[in-house]
Amino acid sequence: MIHRLTRRGLLRGTAAAGSAALLGSVAGTRLWAQEPEKPAELIVRAWGGSWVEALKAGVSDPFTKATGIAVRHDLTEDNEIQPKVWAAAAQGRVPPIHINWDTTTNATKSALRGVTEDLSGLPNLAATTDLAKPVGLDGYPIVNTYGYVYVLAYRPEVFPDGPPKSWDVLLEPRFKGRIALYNDGIGFHFPAQVAGGGSLEDIPGNMQPAWDFIAKVKEQQPLLGEDPDFTAWFQNGEIDLACTISTNAREAKKNGVDIAWTVPEEGCKFDTDGLWIPKGLPENELYWAKQYINFAITPEAQQVWLDGLGLPGVVPGLTPPADLANDPSYPTKPEDFEHLIRISAQVQVENESDWFAKFKEIMQG
Amino acid sequence: MTTAGQRLAIWSLVWISILILSAPTVVVLGASVTSGNMIAFPPEGFSLKWYQKIAMARDLRQAFGRSLVVATVCTLVALPVGTLAGIALSRYRLRFANALQVYLLLPFTVPLIGSGIGLMLVFGEWRGLGSLWPVGVACAVINLPFLVWSVSSSATLLDPDLEHAAANCGAGRVQTFLHVTLPAVMPGVITGSLLMFILAMNEFLVSLLLTDARTVTLPVQIYNSIRSIITPDLAAVSVVFIVIAGAAIAALDRLVGLEIFLKSK
Amino acid sequence: MSSFRYPLRWRLMDALERAADLLWPERLSRFTGWLMIAPALLLVGLLVLGLAEMADGSLRTLDRATFLPSEELSLANYETALGSATYWRVFGRSILGATLATALTLALAFPYAYALVRVPGAVTRKALLVVLFLPFFIGQVVRAYGWLIILGNGGMVNEALGLVGIAPQRLLFNFPAVVFGLVQYLLPFAVLMLAPALTAIPAETETAARSLGASWVRTIWHVVLPMARPGLIGAGLVTMTLALTDFATPAMLGGGSQDFIANAIYDQFFRTADQGLGSALALMLVAAGSAIVALVLGLFGAGTLAMGARR
Repeated sequence: MIHRLTRRGLLRGTAAAGSAALLGSVAGTRLWAQEPEKPAELIVRAWGGSWVEALKAGVSDPFTKATGIAVRHDLTEDNEIQPKVWAAAAQGRVPPIHINWDTTTNATKSALRGVTEDLSGLPNLAATTDLAKPVGLDGYPIVNTYGYVYVLAYRPEVFPDGPPKSWDVLLEPRFKGRIALYNDGIGFHFPAQVAGGGSLEDIPGNMQPAWDFIAKVKEQQPLLGEDPDFTAWFQNGEIDLACTISTNAREAKKNGVDIAWTVPEEGCKFDTDGLWIPKGLPENELYWAKQYINFAITPEAQQVWLDGLGLPGVVPGLTPPADLANDPSYPTKPEDFEHLIRISAQVQVENESDWFAKFKEIMQG
Repeated sequence: MTTAGQRLAIWSLVWISILILSAPTVVVLGASVTSGNMIAFPPEGFSLKWYQKIAMARDLRQAFGRSLVVATVCTLVALPVGTLAGIALSRYRLRFANALQVYLLLPFTVPLIGSGIGLMLVFGEWRGLGSLWPVGVACAVINLPFLVWSVSSSATLLDPDLEHAAANCGAGRVQTFLHVTLPAVMPGVITGSLLMFILAMNEFLVSLLLTDARTVTLPVQIYNSIRSIITPDLAAVSVVFIVIAGAAIAALDRLVGLEIFLKSK
Repeated sequence: MSSFRYPLRWRLMDALERAADLLWPERLSRFTGWLMIAPALLLVGLLVLGLAEMADGSLRTLDRATFLPSEELSLANYETALGSATYWRVFGRSILGATLATALTLALAFPYAYALVRVPGAVTRKALLVVLFLPFFIGQVVRAYGWLIILGNGGMVNEALGLVGIAPQRLLFNFPAVVFGLVQYLLPFAVLMLAPALTAIPAETETAARSLGASWVRTIWHVVLPMARPGLIGAGLVTMTLALTDFATPAMLGGGSQDFIANAIYDQFFRTADQGLGSALALMLVAAGSAIVALVLGLFGAGTLAMGARR
């Protein structure tokens, strides 16, 4: 008997039984009896804290329940797992993880390097939006799973008249020493290009306006750090403004830090994260790793996972979490995207090193 | 022999050191009993919920167990290697002694990221990754100079004539080594080994590159779990860690007497 | 008659001696030092193998269309590194920071080690030891958080300053904060390296100097410090090299604008995936660090290590 399941069929199968029925089958033509041997566990790289909790609740735990395959989470940072995975591939070893939850930019580097498995055959891709497809790459070396925004986070008590309207606020004298950016300036380059009077079409050709703006920001003695630094700095009253991912600002707020966020008129960088599978896995483990990703893009999994993250997914019809309805960091309608800047991953990976070097040059001065 | 003024001079500097060394620790210890969701000092209310949380965390306990294995491997490897090298450097005239010193200090002159990447490639080539022993060996390599130097500085206590005297009295080479040389460097061996063990328990960056999800050690587990917020359970882990280490060191003190290695003659 | 037997220990020892004679005959004894140091050379050899891998990588440039290292070898990464004003600035900062941190660490470590060795009470001595080991158990991230609570804009120190009418000062996230953090991180190591060297100086030596009329300061300066020189050089070298290659302190307490060279290496390996450039930077740092070590050893002798050598 050959199973060819539609997505709707799959959803109904959730309640029924059998892991194959729940997850569909990759080629859509597999026999029940030929389902490859299940590994004892799958290792999924994830970010720690509330990020992994959300993945566990939305994807990993239901997957385990349906298939009996345990999911272990490797919490190594995305940047730090990369050389490990690349070295494994170069040395012909089995990679240390089955699935990498990664930024699309980093994943694109791995895809260009040829260490990613093709995921085009996942049946549930049929029901996803354009966002799931990586731009500028052949097929699906990575499946994007949601989008996120690098918002301008601020301390409400210093903005009694409402949120700041423009990124220019970073240049106000009263915020000298009280603003924070990511270490590599990620998320800030593109809005800086607009705020500096340049145009997005000039990226990457002419980014002088961005550098001019960033040089002015440097005069304000910004602090550079990562997400936990930002939270700690907001909590301890070190900073009033930061360019950060909305999820982290939301997480800080949930834990009692006085923080809010906005999308200024120049816009904010919009990017995606996704899931991919490194090459070099045994056949059966590859099969079940694909099933995991296939499951991660079902509406059920997306709804729970992304409620936890507070981010818009890649299947239609998801309900935003109550606290994020009409939030600019949770775009749902076409007009929501007007203020969001999306630059293809390919342009980003080709130029990122130069942008980063330039940013460092300004900041280390 | 020292006057009050001299004691004041020395002890005021010592107190500055004590303050610098322990201030962040005290704050973090205090923060571990907060009832809030974030590290704060003074803590917001009193609660042991963070201790409860880590007590429930099986992955932390397993990671702690692995760290113990790594630290044991590290110490077992480094102890003989470093002791012999320390004695060789201080008791024997070796040619190119300065060059040897530069070479043996490589673990400190290579940045940890370089050591981590390099050792990952080497152990990867040897198909050793995925077990704990490479992590232990790596920790032994990157901290080896501590042991070598603490042993060789202890060896300066030993008058070479003592060794000659033993030989004159008919002691063989092995006997002289075991009964004269080794006891003389014991203080350095103990300090150095203790340091190696503790450093291996706490090593992060190199371990990060040599472990995977199944062999993750405690520091890697702890610091990778941070994404948005540094939660008070990390402070609680440190407290538990200190208590365990304190108990272990106290036991060691009872057994061998840690005093010996600092007693002034 | 034949029932007399030497104690087991003696027989064991004799057996060991015979085994030693067999495996390592007396005539080889001028190489005994090398035999003893060989395992350490091999162990550190692992690192050299890693460095060789990195040396190979450093000769290959990254192709950003494929994110693979180039097949052909070139010195392009070294040219990039040497031609960058940013890297020179960061390198200069590393050297300056490491030098300052070393000087300050030794200045604090010497009295601490002195007190540790000379204090009469066992309890005090143990307490001093415990304080020394305490910071090892608080990882850098949590430690930095502790400093934020103490030295931050709204931290305890600024609050105290506020009580006496001084406006809040920015105490963290600048160069002095990084040096301070390095001192805190390195102090225990320096004390542990110094203490054995000070133990080697009998208290009677000081008494003798004093009884000959030397003031206390002169005794310290002319008697104790010179005798402790091996320990000071050892501790200084350890402090210097660890500070020079440190990554966590500048990252945590520098506020992102006080990078040391190890941070630049981290960025290349982990942020821009340019392992070739990262390797080139790492190897140049190793060369610079080793040159400093060689220079110090050349100027001051091999420190601790020359003293007890067999004549």
